[in-house]
Amino acid sequence: MTENENIIEVKNMTKIYEEGNTLAVDDISFSIRKGEVLALLGPNGAGKTTTISILATLLNGTKGKCLVNGYDVKKEPDKVRKSIGIVFQEPSLDTDMKAKENLELHAILYGMPKKYRRTKIEEVLKLVDLDDRAEVYVKNYSGGMKRRLEIARGLIHEPKVLFLDEPTLGLDPQTRRKIWDKIKELNQGEMKMTILITTHYMDEADELANRICIMDHGKIIAMDTSKNLKKKLSGDVIDITFEATEERLKFPEMIKKIKEVPGVKNISFSSVSTQQDMMPPLQLPKGMANIDPAMIQARIRDIISNPKKLITAWKNIPMTVGMFLNAPLDMKKRIANMFDEKLLEEVPDAIKQVIIKIRKGEHEEEDNGFEPTISISCESGGQQLPLIIEKINNEGFSIKNVSMHQPTLEDVFLHYVGNQIREETSSQAKNVKEMIQMRQLRK
Amino acid sequence: MSDLNLVKTKINYGVVWVLAKRELLSFWRSKSRVISSIAQAILFLFVFGAFPLSNIVMNEIIVSTRAFIASGISAMVILFTGIFGGMAVFRDKMFGFMKELMVAPVSRRTLMLGRTIGIALQTMIQVVIIIILGVIIGYYGYEDPFLVFRIMIIVPVAFLASLGVVGIGLTVSTRLNDMQSFGLIQTFIVMPMMWLSGAIAPLPPLILMFNPFSYCVDLFRFVLIGVSNFPPLLDLTVMIVFGAIFIIIGARSFNKMEVS
Repeated sequence: MTENENIIEVKNMTKIYEEGNTLAVDDISFSIRKGEVLALLGPNGAGKTTTISILATLLNGTKGKCLVNGYDVKKEPDKVRKSIGIVFQEPSLDTDMKAKENLELHAILYGMPKKYRRTKIEEVLKLVDLDDRAEVYVKNYSGGMKRRLEIARGLIHEPKVLFLDEPTLGLDPQTRRKIWDKIKELNQGEMKMTILITTHYMDEADELANRICIMDHGKIIAMDTSKNLKKKLSGDVIDITFEATEERLKFPEMIKKIKEVPGVKNISFSSVSTQQDMMPPLQLPKGMANIDPAMIQARIRDIISNPKKLITAWKNIPMTVGMFLNAPLDMKKRIANMFDEKLLEEVPDAIKQVIIKIRKGEHEEEDNGFEPTISISCESGGQQLPLIIEKINNEGFSIKNVSMHQPTLEDVFLHYVGNQIREETSSQAKNVKEMIQMRQLRK
Repeated sequence: MSDLNLVKTKINYGVVWVLAKRELLSFWRSKSRVISSIAQAILFLFVFGAFPLSNIVMNEIIVSTRAFIASGISAMVILFTGIFGGMAVFRDKMFGFMKELMVAPVSRRTLMLGRTIGIALQTMIQVVIIIILGVIIGYYGYEDPFLVFRIMIIVPVAFLASLGVVGIGLTVSTRLNDMQSFGLIQTFIVMPMMWLSGAIAPLPPLILMFNPFSYCVDLFRFVLIGVSNFPPLLDLTVMIVFGAIFIIIGARSFNKMEVS
């Protein structure tokens, strides 16, 4: 062992699932000190479970080096396996066996001598308060009992590190508390166990972990103590909700103005994305499945950037008129600006009227019902709030609701990860495909 | 236990035995499995044994139909319990227990061997039960002075035969991903192997020679009632060769299996 302090060393860990074409873990490096509790936070599909699976030798990393308890996960998997205890995300008990038998089998699998086995099993059962239920079939256990039994099982062979993959998922608050207490006991009691825990619950991470590691898209985007992370968002968090009718295109401009207010640190904006691409997601009719949607989008993009092509399309394909009328306002505006008076003559009447209206500024209201929200972290909310509101009023926005609070770990998380629901998009998958191809070319 | 003794990727026989025991224990505990497997065999014994008592001529030796069927059915039990026992891997995969096994510091070969031996032992016990039932009902001749001796020989033969069958079950179950495919296995693997093996009705050797399982049935019949289509040594050889092949294929797919 080179670093005696660190029980887990991860360098450039990368995992690509070639089948699904996804980059699950993207070149991450971190280390865990002995006796530490580290929480891995991240949205679904961030790569938490993959990271744990690689450290537990269940999966082979595509690249990188990982040391657990001083052993390389690729070269000495057996030693690594003996150094770790693991509680999986899904239950992994044999429900047709009694609790004690599950533990016995585990002890035998880990090569524990017989004498030692019995005392150890009793010890761990006591630790999780299941000693009076040892002879009960696991299928008769409740969810929380099963979870506790799994934790007990992970401890039998006296591992140096305990991996807990969402240990309190789907449990009631009382049971969660109980499991938290056990986890704390393991870490702070005699054992001084190092624990790596993944979770979705901020309060869980806040309560248990010494350090928190936020992952997203297979990358570590922040890693520090909960306190320090919150300090980065120090002061207060002001959430401002606007009317749904506000025009999204103007937001970046306004946000820029707010940033000028002294004391404002960071602004995150949610609701529909404003930047980048104005293309609405294209839903292909059934039966056209063989055409690459990306290709069609490119073709449409080509058409809508050229007024003459647009006019031809409107005249010949009635569907395109409907497409224009249903398009988001931002896009309508962009298109409206492309036509000069002369070209406008050729545009079909239905569209012509809309374009003229948009130019006059009397456009119809945006209809997607999302209320745009910005959350501003600033040094002292009381001082900056009036200034911020003034700026917003100057820009002509109407505020629906304002709230101010101390930053929570959830704010930190949302600050880093953004608060839109994740759906792994095809564009990301494509990137991975390109990456794999590039890699093969280089060889 | 600061110095944990290393477990190499070799086979850990202690663990093999424990896993085999687990298999036997879970079989014993689920009484419905015990009952249904025996009830099925009894049903077959009675239904097919109820046919008119004309005798069957095999290799110019006259055999009673009932002895013919009783011996065939005892071999058939191997096919059913062997394949569906091998599929128990699938159950473990579904219910997550497989992960616990996969992350343990024992080689996959150990896990696979433990399971295979466990199921083979279980099958063996069932075969013996069916044979004894056959004797009680009176399908085998009581006058046969070698009967006990025959049953003693059938025990290792049954064990050997079930190893290969379990291999098939393992191969299938490691590749299976949903419960619905169970019926498919029944229709396309178990049934053809059973009906074309000559276990229940005499079939011409031309058909039998293409079904690996028919050699197992043939050997059973030779041991139990002393007649066979093929030379018993050929039966044994084919059984061992096919058994080895299926076990190797099963081990391969077990090795490749990803659980995550």
